[in-house]
Amino acid sequence: MKTDRKIIHVVISVCFLFFLLIAYLTYFELFVKDSVIENSYNQRLNGSENSVLRGSIFDRNGKLLAKSQINGNTQERIYPFGSLYSHIIGYDSRVYGKSLLEASYNSYLSNQYDIHSILDISGKIAGYKPSGANMSLTIDHQLQTRAEKLMRNIKGAAVVMDPKTGEILAMVSKPDFDPNGQELENNWTTLVESSDAPFVPRATQGLYPPGSTFKVVISAAAVEDGMSDMSFEDSGVITIDGKQFRNSGGNAYGKLNIQSAMAVSCNTFFAKLGTELGFENLKDAAASFGLEKEVPFDLPVSQSIFPYDEMSKTDMASVGIGQGKVLVTPLQMAMIASCIANDGVMMKPWLVKRVATVSGIQLHAGGPSVLYRSVSPETAASVKDMMVGVVEKGTGRNASIQGIHVAGKTGTAQNELTDRGKGKEHAWFIGFAPAEDPKVAVAVIAEYSGASGGSLCAPIAKELMSAWLGL
Amino acid sequence: MFEIISSLLKYVFITIIYIFIFGIMRLIYLDIRSMSAKNFPKAVSLPYLKLVSLKDHFNFKVEESYLLTEDTTIGRSRGNSIHIEDPFLSGRHAILTKKGGSFYIQDVGSTNGTELNGTRLGTEPVLLKDGDRIHAGQLDFLYVSGERQGEGNAADEKRP
Amino acid sequence: MQLMRSAHKLPHPVYMLVLVDIFAFSLLFFRETPYDISPLIVGLSLIASILMVYFLIRGFKLGDEYIFLIVSMLFSIGAVMLYRLDSELGIKQAKWLGIGLVAFFAGYFIFGWFKVWDRLLFFYMAASMGLFAVTMGFGREIKGSNNWIVFQGFSIQTSEIAKILFLFFLASYYSQREKLFARFSKVRVTAAFMLVAYLLMGLLVLQKEWGTPLVLFLVYFAVIYIFEKDVRILLVNALAAVTAGTAGVLFVHHIRVRVDAWINPWADIAQKGYQIAQSLFAIGAGGFFGTGIGLGRPELIPEVRTDFIFSAICEEMGIFGGVAVILLFLLLVYRGFKIALRCGEVFEKTLALGITLMFAFQTFVIIGGVIKLLLLTGITLPFISYGGSSLVTNFAALGVLQRISAKQATAERSTAYEDR
Repeated sequence: MKTDRKIIHVVISVCFLFFLLIAYLTYFELFVKDSVIENSYNQRLNGSENSVLRGSIFDRNGKLLAKSQINGNTQERIYPFGSLYSHIIGYDSRVYGKSLLEASYNSYLSNQYDIHSILDISGKIAGYKPSGANMSLTIDHQLQTRAEKLMRNIKGAAVVMDPKTGEILAMVSKPDFDPNGQELENNWTTLVESSDAPFVPRATQGLYPPGSTFKVVISAAAVEDGMSDMSFEDSGVITIDGKQFRNSGGNAYGKLNIQSAMAVSCNTFFAKLGTELGFENLKDAAASFGLEKEVPFDLPVSQSIFPYDEMSKTDMASVGIGQGKVLVTPLQMAMIASCIANDGVMMKPWLVKRVATVSGIQLHAGGPSVLYRSVSPETAASVKDMMVGVVEKGTGRNASIQGIHVAGKTGTAQNELTDRGKGKEHAWFIGFAPAEDPKVAVAVIAEYSGASGGSLCAPIAKELMSAWLGL
Repeated sequence: MFEIISSLLKYVFITIIYIFIFGIMRLIYLDIRSMSAKNFPKAVSLPYLKLVSLKDHFNFKVEESYLLTEDTTIGRSRGNSIHIEDPFLSGRHAILTKKGGSFYIQDVGSTNGTELNGTRLGTEPVLLKDGDRIHAGQLDFLYVSGERQGEGNAADEKRP
Repeated sequence: MQLMRSAHKLPHPVYMLVLVDIFAFSLLFFRETPYDISPLIVGLSLIASILMVYFLIRGFKLGDEYIFLIVSMLFSIGAVMLYRLDSELGIKQAKWLGIGLVAFFAGYFIFGWFKVWDRLLFFYMAASMGLFAVTMGFGREIKGSNNWIVFQGFSIQTSEIAKILFLFFLASYYSQREKLFARFSKVRVTAAFMLVAYLLMGLLVLQKEWGTPLVLFLVYFAVIYIFEKDVRILLVNALAAVTAGTAGVLFVHHIRVRVDAWINPWADIAQKGYQIAQSLFAIGAGGFFGTGIGLGRPELIPEVRTDFIFSAICEEMGIFGGVAVILLFLLLVYRGFKIALRCGEVFEKTLALGITLMFAFQTFVIIGGVIKLLLLTGITLPFISYGGSSLVTNFAALGVLQRISAKQATAERSTAYEDR
């Protein structure tokens, strides 16, 4: 019968599929396996870490942020603040491995460096588990909590740092996730497959076009290269090599100098300035603020990029207003704001204050160190003035704090989604305060929010700065 | 200690599991073999014994039907004309004797006995009629005299 | 051939099964000091229930006796692995076996008692949609799939029930379609059938469940290959599948993530590729003979109790253990096909085919997934993975298959009498 013959075909196909499984399994065992298992993510190679109680992590004031607890034969990592530090501390899961600080400081946290406790035989007899080193961070728990609240319904990141020392005071990336063991295991698939990418630490690894916040870098270059006296008649639109550049909102501002152009964030002015500066100057400026350079940090950081080997006039104009192919991390923008605040000296960012054994022996200590001298103090001072102008009479008014001078720059960056004409711009704000003696610098981004930097991010930056300054 | 036992036992496990698989494959093989052979009496109008029991039950080789041409002995040992490794059969269990066109059956002192249509046979030969049921060991056979071959085949062909 | 014949001195496979359980659970007993008697209890109850059911099948001539034996071996391997991973889990799995065996007999007898199964085409459709509505209304999302109903502390995966309904739907359609052809045009009936089939699979996709609809599609495609004479119908369905697959890869973020992880898990090993990479590490750690039970570290594999149980088996019982599992499934599937081939009635034939193909494709898809031969989709390995819903429905389906084989055996015995 025809049906039965066809069933036989199906039987043969199924047999073939099953033999395919067997063949592939054998092939894997014979030829693939060896190249696969030598991988740092293969925990089988590390042996068991269970003999040491993993160290705890504290904020700068000694607030406990992560600890380990023994449950029978196994240890459990506990994050009392849930998702709050998921993009700083990361997770340490028996099943899903380690990430961020839990991974990069694993050798300290899990190994026992403490000679005292090795010699402490009475402790061993009493059954204490030897414990790994404890860490304290530069993060301020209160500020971090505040930052998380402000960013709660936003996708994006906020970085708060001390411009003079480079200490990271708060760093929030949204969306985030609960790193506690059971939660992580239950939600893993959802998290990995979510189009919101909650596992991406946006503050350090998100790359965004900087938009108008990049005008800080451009104006610094203009001052350094003696082009800051350019004056310009703005008609709301400028055509460079056939490509039109417009001001946001279609405004025309008339006669402008660099100071007033910065305050109103005039695109035509900076597009023109970009072409005037030319490829070499733009590239040098980007490099002096750390683009195209690796950021030494306690966490993995994506490199901010300026990927041009040569530039057309339209490229220069685009870069002049922070578009084009330039991409930066929120951390990088916080460092750029800090650099202007700190007289043109860019400090190395740091997150881990101290690692010490339980008995107090210091194993590692962070401290301020200079990363680059990006621009001269004079240049920094004049850019700072421009940035004060932005907050006091320009697009950044929402960041002003009563009683002190705040410097800042807004940005509303176009991206791959806005090219298709949707209201999906990234909103940016970078700034620092007080302008005379900066104690805090911030960078805030709300990705694909469609809002302007001045309306959405400036108020958040203001809250963060005044919170840190105690105002 | 546990490590040693476990790392030895892993070979034992694999061996047993493969013996299991092999055992099942063997039973299936025997099954198919007899399926392909089951049609042989079709062309011949000779008497034969047809197995009625479900073959899947048996852990030994048994054919779907046995053609009867001459005097036939049934038993567990190899010398028999119908030799089946059923542990409930005796070494020599029963004899079918040909007289004229008919067959007579008799038990030859088997341990578990032979039944014809539910009655236990003695050593006296009994004439077999078409459709008689013979029970020996775990097996049930149907005696088909071969004269009404046509109908039997029609029933057979229903099966693929 | 000679080998096959000379092997008749081997003891019956059921003894091998008992032996495996005795060895494995005794080994688990010695694993931890102080000794705890519970692995022995679990092992003994396992052996007792398997033997009881097996001898019931033999004694009362309830049809094919291999399929239950093969499934028992698969279950035993799974139960040993689960007990080794977490004793609580092993004990729960043994309890689920009890419920599974009840489901087996329930499937056997309920399917046998009522004679209306082939005529309930519209009921199966309505029930599938009702189930979907209930799941969407009261369902809970667990591990990324919104196909669970939590009821008095039990969580039931409704896609498992939907799977069985789909098989009945297919069988019922092919047994009833001549009647439908008499009333409507052939093209219309076929088109309507295909639409409903895709709708039922689509409902599962809406619950963010990918594995089950994939398995059901493969079953569906094999069944239409067998029963549809028109090659164009096959082409249309193949085209539909390719289109849906391509669209899924291009536009559905979830699927794209999985495709990325499949093509190169090492690119984002910390997140996207983590699961599959850990699975490969485990299989690689085992070698041909495995580390031995209790000596590997399968607890490092994510989702090891359900989707990735096969990797754990490969780690501790080796590639040979893994191949044994594949061969056991192959034997099971072979028996299933044989039952289907011997069926005269279209309904039972299609149902037997459907159940068999479901076991076959589910095994192929999940094993293929964890060894990175195929895209990973989260489904259970039948009879081995932990999970009440899947175990109970698979046993019930096995019961139905058993019943179909028993009916044949009865029919054949009576044919033999008719030979007179």
